[in-house]
Amino acid sequence: MQRVGRRVIAVLAAVTLSLVALPQRAAAKDGIVVFAAASLKNALDDITAAWSEKTGHKVAVSFAGSSKLARQIQQGAPADIFISANVAWMDVLAKDKLIEQTTRRDLLKNRIVLIAHGKVAKPVYIRGGLDLAGLLGDGRLAMAMVDSVPAGIYGKAALTSLGLWDAVRPKVAQADNVRAALALVARGEAPYGIVYATDAAASDNVTVVGTFPAETHPPIVYPAAVIAESGQETVARNFLDFLSSDTARDAFEQQGFTVIEPAMAN
Amino acid sequence: MTNWLSPAEWDALSLSLTVAFWATLLSLPPGIAVALALARGRFFGRQVLNGLVHLPLILPPVVTGYVLLILFGRRGPVGSLLEDWFGIVLAFRWTGAVLAAAVMAFPLMVRAIRLAIEAVDPKLEQAASTLGANRLWTFTFVTLPLILPGIIAGAILAFAKAMGEFGATITFVSNIPGETQTLPSAIYAFLQVPGGDASAARLALVSVTVAIVALAVSEVVASRVARKIAGR
Repeated sequence: MQRVGRRVIAVLAAVTLSLVALPQRAAAKDGIVVFAAASLKNALDDITAAWSEKTGHKVAVSFAGSSKLARQIQQGAPADIFISANVAWMDVLAKDKLIEQTTRRDLLKNRIVLIAHGKVAKPVYIRGGLDLAGLLGDGRLAMAMVDSVPAGIYGKAALTSLGLWDAVRPKVAQADNVRAALALVARGEAPYGIVYATDAAASDNVTVVGTFPAETHPPIVYPAAVIAESGQETVARNFLDFLSSDTARDAFEQQGFTVIEPAMAN
Repeated sequence: MTNWLSPAEWDALSLSLTVAFWATLLSLPPGIAVALALARGRFFGRQVLNGLVHLPLILPPVVTGYVLLILFGRRGPVGSLLEDWFGIVLAFRWTGAVLAAAVMAFPLMVRAIRLAIEAVDPKLEQAASTLGANRLWTFTFVTLPLILPGIIAGAILAFAKAMGEFGATITFVSNIPGETQTLPSAIYAFLQVPGGDASAARLALVSVTVAIVALAVSEVVASRVARKIAGR
């Protein structure tokens, strides 16, 4: 019995030591880590594949609500690039001196829309007197978290400026990020939701029934920047430049984003 | 005292306590039944039942939450049935949070109770039946008092797990302040708001306090019960 015990310990020790000796994974020597807003998933998947093929560098992308990503970067997460769905979260990082100021640029524009479950749905005229609460009935309005995730913040701002927020607030189901809200409507669990126009295009099971007027919320701008602590600054800058290339522009526009022309070189 | 926590924080705390309480209470009968079946039963499919019970322990909580959404959501097979026949809605309601917490806590409760059942000396039960007691009487007056400390331990464990349940809850019933925003969800939400650190820290402190109190109470109750059963 003692011999068996010793054998077991020997095997466990060997396994543990071999795990420790394994080469490091995702932080590959010439790869980069991109933190990107959840709504960019479809477009960035294509763009990163194209860039990897072109340059031979690896890219790992983490998609989540911009708020969560920004907080992770504040806590020292090993990101090389951050693409946020609103300017506020990028400003937070800039204030903490966590980004390379010179690399910051505004990449894309987007719109928020009201979506309904199903392949066809009755259009809704989004205006001040809209009885959205009545439209919802006993169903919920799926949105991203309204106090932190940009899609939720824009949605709440739009509803507030239209005077609809107070009536609708008890009916809102806050999801972790805009894609989770989209999934709730796509599944039919929530009859309506507020997501980006680009998200609505990404799912077959939802229909855009109305677009929020641009003046009801702050402009939806996606800034991107290289993280100050990045150990891969050259490669990261290369990727950032690629985001303004024709290939990337096509991918973004195919999803419905509006590409912001890069400012003329200074 | 009421100024320590904002109304939203109080909501989260009381919701968490309510959800954890009901989750524990409602999973006790099935928990005891399943523990009995696994400890004493000799039926076909026993290992399958064992695996099923432990699934929420092994799967990522988000997966469990997603499965609950598919089954018990308004469009799900069980969810639509519950709504049509009984008028019970689980999606986006605190009742759904109870279900999510109960499912996640179930394996822990079953394990604790099963251990207690297996520790019962079968000769005591045999003695009761030789004296003429039927199985129900034996279970109620011989087995149950003996496994009571184990049931209490299982219940406390389940309560603590239910208080801390997050992944399955937010996936199934999302984050609705006042309805499904439990303590962990509230902490999660506050952490993502600039300047929400103080609220998150306060709530984390509350969670720790509740956990310590629950543990202390369970220790006291369990030892009192154990002493009583041993006849001291």
